[in-house]
Amino acid sequence: MANEISDDELVQRFPGEGITHDNAAHYRGRLRRELLMNRCGDCGRWHAPPKPICPDCWSSRVSAEPVSGEGVIFMAILLHRGPPAPGVDYSTPYPVVTVELDEQPGLRFTSTVVGADNNDIRIGAAVRLDWSNRVGAPMPVFALKKPQA
Amino acid sequence: MKDRVAIAAASTTGFVAKNLGRSQASLAAEACVDVIKKSGIARDEIDGLCGSWPSAAVLQSVLGIPEVTWFGNPVIPIVDHVATAAAAVHAGLCEVVLVYHAAYRAVWNTGSALKDPFRRIATPGLSDPHPGPETMAAAVGYTGWASRYMYEYGVTREDFGLVAINSRSHAVGNPAAAMREPMTMDDYLSAPMVREPLCLYDMDVAVDGADAFIVTTTERARDMALPPVLINAAVLGQVRHNEEDQTVSLRQHGQQVVVDTLKSKSDFWIDDIDVYFPYDGFTPITLNWIDNAGWCKPGEAGAFLREHWDSEQGYALINGRIPVNPHGGSLSEGATQASGHIREAVHQLQGLAGDRQVTDARRALVTAGGFFFNAQGLTLHRP
Repeated sequence: MANEISDDELVQRFPGEGITHDNAAHYRGRLRRELLMNRCGDCGRWHAPPKPICPDCWSSRVSAEPVSGEGVIFMAILLHRGPPAPGVDYSTPYPVVTVELDEQPGLRFTSTVVGADNNDIRIGAAVRLDWSNRVGAPMPVFALKKPQA
Repeated sequence: MKDRVAIAAASTTGFVAKNLGRSQASLAAEACVDVIKKSGIARDEIDGLCGSWPSAAVLQSVLGIPEVTWFGNPVIPIVDHVATAAAAVHAGLCEVVLVYHAAYRAVWNTGSALKDPFRRIATPGLSDPHPGPETMAAAVGYTGWASRYMYEYGVTREDFGLVAINSRSHAVGNPAAAMREPMTMDDYLSAPMVREPLCLYDMDVAVDGADAFIVTTTERARDMALPPVLINAAVLGQVRHNEEDQTVSLRQHGQQVVVDTLKSKSDFWIDDIDVYFPYDGFTPITLNWIDNAGWCKPGEAGAFLREHWDSEQGYALINGRIPVNPHGGSLSEGATQASGHIREAVHQLQGLAGDRQVTDARRALVTAGGFFFNAQGLTLHRP
């Protein structure tokens, strides 16, 4: 794709992330604020994390495509301590959620939830995609669809 | 391989939750020298090495073992090492394997380990940048599935607490254990949260110490000093969706493979055993093992422990006779990545478990590891 940054620059934009040939497209998508997940061009199934072939039909026609980022919280935890990260202060426990995406049962993505009271971040809650920043690079996050009462 | 390969001896240094001024090689060597002496063999009879840390090359050099014809350094937990060594013995690649594991307080585990310059040097990649907290990968995944366990089965943290108390009550009676102060449910519930819903006491305790084993043919083991413990069946179970956040459900991961395989390959199952060793690196792992092994229905492990609880002793005694992790488990003996579970199983079956001895223990079940890529099983017996 035109105007895409080099592999070297990509690694520099996401320090600490384990970028590979298989998931580089996902990280390039983040720079455009697109959440990309791998999908098979033959059987149409999604999979995560990015794999070099379709684990269902073994097709090599796998590409990273945008997902809506809509889904339901499948697992929800609060980190009272954790790895150092810019902008993360564990004095308020930091939420981490795995979201089951609407695109396909069992297709999940893990990130944090922004703009919500920790008490409202519960398994089963509907979420939508939002974007935050981590050392200057866009980071996909989730927001609760309906503020809880 | 059934019953053709045996564990001839097991030894430990014991474990402490502090930084000893020693290397992993030093800890492993102490356990290895002891197990070689206890088995009554000479070091030049060892022709195989299998361990975690240090490398087989370093350990062989430290112990001055003249020659080996096979060695391996599989990944933890330690059923992998025992199963791999047993397979090597059964295949004829070697005959007498020294299996070893040094548990070591890593710089990731504790602030005090991070302050130890030798431990920093011993940790490759320490200064590399690391990804942020927005992940369920590695140990965090068990917290994610703990949230799921509570949500799906409608149970509270007290069910996790029973596992922690069970391990601690046993560790009180184990001189090799790191954590020997009794624990109450109030102690558990008032412990600091680390990754909610899991608190400090839901996580195994980082320790320094080592275990070592001799794995050989049953025939050869019979000529050694201690009663052989026969490996009836062993399995490393794994399913396709093995990433922490993609695992299908609490009822569909590596543990089910382990349980189904042991049930079909082993000559005995839960009704026949005398002592049970479910892994307890994190408390929800133990509950899920109890569910999946079929002791009770899914989600009922906490209720099962309550039903079989010996309130005098402060631990569960299944059907009034089967203790669960009588050495204190990873939660309280120390985070041995299951070498402690296997060592205690061997000692129980050899009648060497001291004050913790289960009367005439003949059969043990070890269900080690977690959900994703490290669920393991071992059935051991003394015929």
